[in-house]
Amino acid sequence: MPSPRERHEWLLFVLLIGPNLALFAVFTYWPLIYNFYLSFVRWNFLRPTKPFVGLDNYANVFSSAQFWTIVTNTFVFAFFSVGLTLIIGLALALLINQPLRYRNTARAVLFSPVIMSGAVVAVVWSYIFDPRYGLIDQFLRPLGIASPNWLSDPAWAMPAVIIVYVWKNLGYAVVIYLAGLQGIPRELYEAARVDGAGPWARFWHVTLPGLSPIAFFLSVTSVLATFQAFDIIKVLTDGGPVISTTTLIYHLYTLGFVSYDAGQAGVVAVVLFMIMLVLTIIQIRYLEQRVNYG
Amino acid sequence: MTQQMLTRRQMLKLLLASGSTAALAACGAATTTQTPTSPPANDEAETGAPAVVSEPGSTVNITYWGSFSGNLGEAEQAMVSSFNAAQSDVVVDYQFQGNYEETAQKFTAGLQANTIPDVILLSDVWWFSFYVAGMISQLDSLAQAEGVDFSDYEPALLNEGVRQGKHFWIPFARSTPLFYYNKEIWAEVGLPDRAPETWAEFEEWAPQLIEREGTTMRRAAYVHPNGASYIAWLFQPVVWQHGGQYSTDDFTMTMTDSDTLRAAQFFQDSARSNGWATLVPDINTDFIGGTAASMMASTGSLAGLTSNAPFDVGVGFLPKETNFGCCTGGAGLAIPSGAPAEKQQAAMKFIAFVTNVEQAGVWARNTGYMPVRISTKATPDMVNFFNENPNFKTAVDQLPLTQAQDAARVFVRNGDQIIGKGLERIIINGEDPSTVFTDVNAELTRVAEPILEDLREVEG
Repeated sequence: MPSPRERHEWLLFVLLIGPNLALFAVFTYWPLIYNFYLSFVRWNFLRPTKPFVGLDNYANVFSSAQFWTIVTNTFVFAFFSVGLTLIIGLALALLINQPLRYRNTARAVLFSPVIMSGAVVAVVWSYIFDPRYGLIDQFLRPLGIASPNWLSDPAWAMPAVIIVYVWKNLGYAVVIYLAGLQGIPRELYEAARVDGAGPWARFWHVTLPGLSPIAFFLSVTSVLATFQAFDIIKVLTDGGPVISTTTLIYHLYTLGFVSYDAGQAGVVAVVLFMIMLVLTIIQIRYLEQRVNYG
Repeated sequence: MTQQMLTRRQMLKLLLASGSTAALAACGAATTTQTPTSPPANDEAETGAPAVVSEPGSTVNITYWGSFSGNLGEAEQAMVSSFNAAQSDVVVDYQFQGNYEETAQKFTAGLQANTIPDVILLSDVWWFSFYVAGMISQLDSLAQAEGVDFSDYEPALLNEGVRQGKHFWIPFARSTPLFYYNKEIWAEVGLPDRAPETWAEFEEWAPQLIEREGTTMRRAAYVHPNGASYIAWLFQPVVWQHGGQYSTDDFTMTMTDSDTLRAAQFFQDSARSNGWATLVPDINTDFIGGTAASMMASTGSLAGLTSNAPFDVGVGFLPKETNFGCCTGGAGLAIPSGAPAEKQQAAMKFIAFVTNVEQAGVWARNTGYMPVRISTKATPDMVNFFNENPNFKTAVDQLPLTQAQDAARVFVRNGDQIIGKGLERIIINGEDPSTVFTDVNAELTRVAEPILEDLREVEG
């Protein structure tokens, strides 16, 4: 028999947590569960009935030759986008962390792409990439280098998408890294200097370990974001040429809202969910052990 | 404080203005975003619930969902306004819903939420899905009540929307592919001022039209769109010209027939071994920018191209191969089923008005879409317009020679993109047409299966 006090606390708990839980249930958990259900039926959004088809949708998705290319594309995109953002972001943050002139201006300039609409960024870059009148071609031409056919050549389209994605999101990483850099205690650097550590040694033994929680946070959020990147791909390449820039999320969109195949789109959503779940577990289990929270 | 706010805002404006100018300067080309079968669309989509059913005997308010914005949107709004002014029984509220795909997607969502319009514009590749699902009405009795004379509609356009002798989809913003060429380049290299009669003739001309700088092609003789900008629509006539087809009327896929493959080989060679064509996402930009000397594109782009191109635009019938071949495209009007009879009749009144002999001419002159009525061509306004715009006359003259597209592209959901992606593999990757079209044939067959099932249910 719970005491009145316990009951009171329980009631307070429900009152506080309830509204949030209800929102999550309606807008996150229910769609998630409903999507699992859809992946086992055949439905085109228009039929009144949704006949159960067992694992047919899964078989169709997995047996398609395109699917594995699309999975590979997704990982290539995520790996290079996150990798480059983390590395270049760190380099720029270290640079901006120096007491340079116009530091604040540089910071604002670097951050500005983050607040731009992805669709707008993609439209502008599609002109920059144009092999005949684009900005990149204007720079390459005097050097006697022919501009690659960025968006029409399957070999160059993915690098182009990665460049735009990194350019757009770099500023975010820089700002977060900067916050991290400023949070590393000065005394550690002074102690290292006293111990005779040079700039490199200080970077390896003080800065990097000090930044590890930040890098960890960035890697988790960036990986999740790249798996959901859609606007830039949609506007820049439409997943093409052929399927060279089609990622899982773009594939999901095509199956669901172009082909009107809710079942197969549901399967891709399930796959995407599983991949993100596994990646997040790996990151939390293994990466976090190596993070130094100082 | 106010002063400071203003200055900051002004500075932002200046920054924005200079930024966009720089971006434009960097591109150095005027552009239209028109793609062959979809008109330009902006993002000001407005979704609204249909108007409330009115009292009997009073004015009936109906909602019309369409896909026109920009110049086309203004022409559409003007047409709705003149309908509202011309009579007092019905008031139409025009609501822009995005491009053809977005309009269809919103209609699908609206069906789930039970908020549907009373008239809807559906493109060639969409109306059939809603027909099969039983979501659009048979229009014959409604049309009869309005005194619509179907015999005066262009048969090539009207018959596409007929199933089992009943009308479901009335032609409105209909277009066909047309051969466009840059007269300035044509004159520069000394070609006769006309479109090529045959593809063989064009292949003779092509080398003179190309401009190279080192290994880079600065100007292509011809430009293909990519899959997303509807290459499968423009490949359709080429397949027919080679004697092939995408599919038969009973949905048997014929992508691997030797003549279909011959057409695919022709497209591949144009961009690879013969090297006179390129493939880009937006062909109109390349054509206007002078980086492509010619293209096949929608007649719906004629007005835009003519006013935006800094050179004289020439047009002609599509070139022949073994045969002549040209398909129709664009969008038509349908009435969703399930609405009250009063609203359906009001919707039909609107359709009858916008496709009457006079309005069909107004619409065609303002947009470049085909006049859907046969007698429109003989009206004085149209005759004058033809005299002033001989290019438009050419487009209209080609119309009686056109035919409806094969089921594989227009009736199979996403058939357009399945064929389009296949063509990208053939042209861009250089894969063997026979291998690719075997895959395409299999996928089309698989996707068509549930549609056939539904069709058997609907049509018996």
